[in-house]
Amino acid sequence: MSVWIAIAGVSFSTFFLRASFMLFADPHRFPHWFRHALKFVPAAVLAAIVAPGLLMAGGTPDLSLANPRLVAGLIAMVATFYLRNTFAAVATGMAALWALQWAFGHFG
Amino acid sequence: MPDASPRSEFLDGCREMLPVLLGTIPFGFVAGVAAIAAGMTAVQGVALSMFSFSGIAQLVASQLIAIHSPVVVTVGAAFVVSLRFLMYSAAMAPHLAHLDWRWRAGLSFLMTDQSFAAAARHYGESRPHAHRHWYFLGAAITLYLSWQASVVLGVVAGAQVPEAWSLDFAVVLAFIALLVPAVRTRADLAAAIVAAAIALVAAGLPYRLALVVASLGGIGAGLAIEAGRRR
Repeated sequence: MSVWIAIAGVSFSTFFLRASFMLFADPHRFPHWFRHALKFVPAAVLAAIVAPGLLMAGGTPDLSLANPRLVAGLIAMVATFYLRNTFAAVATGMAALWALQWAFGHFG
Repeated sequence: MPDASPRSEFLDGCREMLPVLLGTIPFGFVAGVAAIAAGMTAVQGVALSMFSFSGIAQLVASQLIAIHSPVVVTVGAAFVVSLRFLMYSAAMAPHLAHLDWRWRAGLSFLMTDQSFAAAARHYGESRPHAHRHWYFLGAAITLYLSWQASVVLGVVAGAQVPEAWSLDFAVVLAFIALLVPAVRTRADLAAAIVAAAIALVAAGLPYRLALVVASLGGIGAGLAIEAGRRR
């Protein structure tokens, strides 16, 4: 039962936030600093999600180049920067990760 | 030249999403796998996806349900990671103000990172005309249907994917594809670096609170850099 309540709560939250200004409120009625702060939400939230995925796969931070997820992630960032599409990030990142895991398995 | 018709706008929006699907389909699959791994039933996993329609919110909710977090914590964490929708909503509102509430409610329900990015670009680049919301709708519906199909696939087949494929990494990569274009200014970069650093240092906090603390810290860093440059 509590799972269903969580599903309802999560669904309500995502809809409420999406509909906030499109359906309910005029963004110009909100203070200036608030609208400024919103600008940084994507960069901050996305970086907070990506960083542990690259650096903490083993449970503790690993900043060395022997961490295949970090290297594959950096390659994917460069590919995304130049090619500007999601497929470039996923394809180069997965290919790099598989190649590195294979290489570490054989030579590591 | 006559204005583009609703039909041609809609189809353009659908077409624009085709390359994006190569990233979102594995992501949806992983979200489906995560729901089952968290102990949800197949029906619950699909319901979460159909009604919340947000990969990040679905993954965070799954992780918290898996460790039997209180409902308030699960919903609170999903709320914080979804705060970026506030910004998207504020950016889209002026373009949609002329539509009736059913259109605005429908587009709100369907809006995601990718359809927002495509629609924002379309509103920025195309000549003003009356049917541009059909482009937004085409992109959003294409993502919705393909997302639900890939989540169902993950729910049904998820347990059979070998761990050695590291498919969970596709999720991190899908976020990298959104993160890189989101960093445009030095203040954005500061927000990202500070958020990443806090996320690592605070990783020991319970209930994925690190994500919340890191996001707020990153936003603060972005504001501080911007304020410093204006002086």
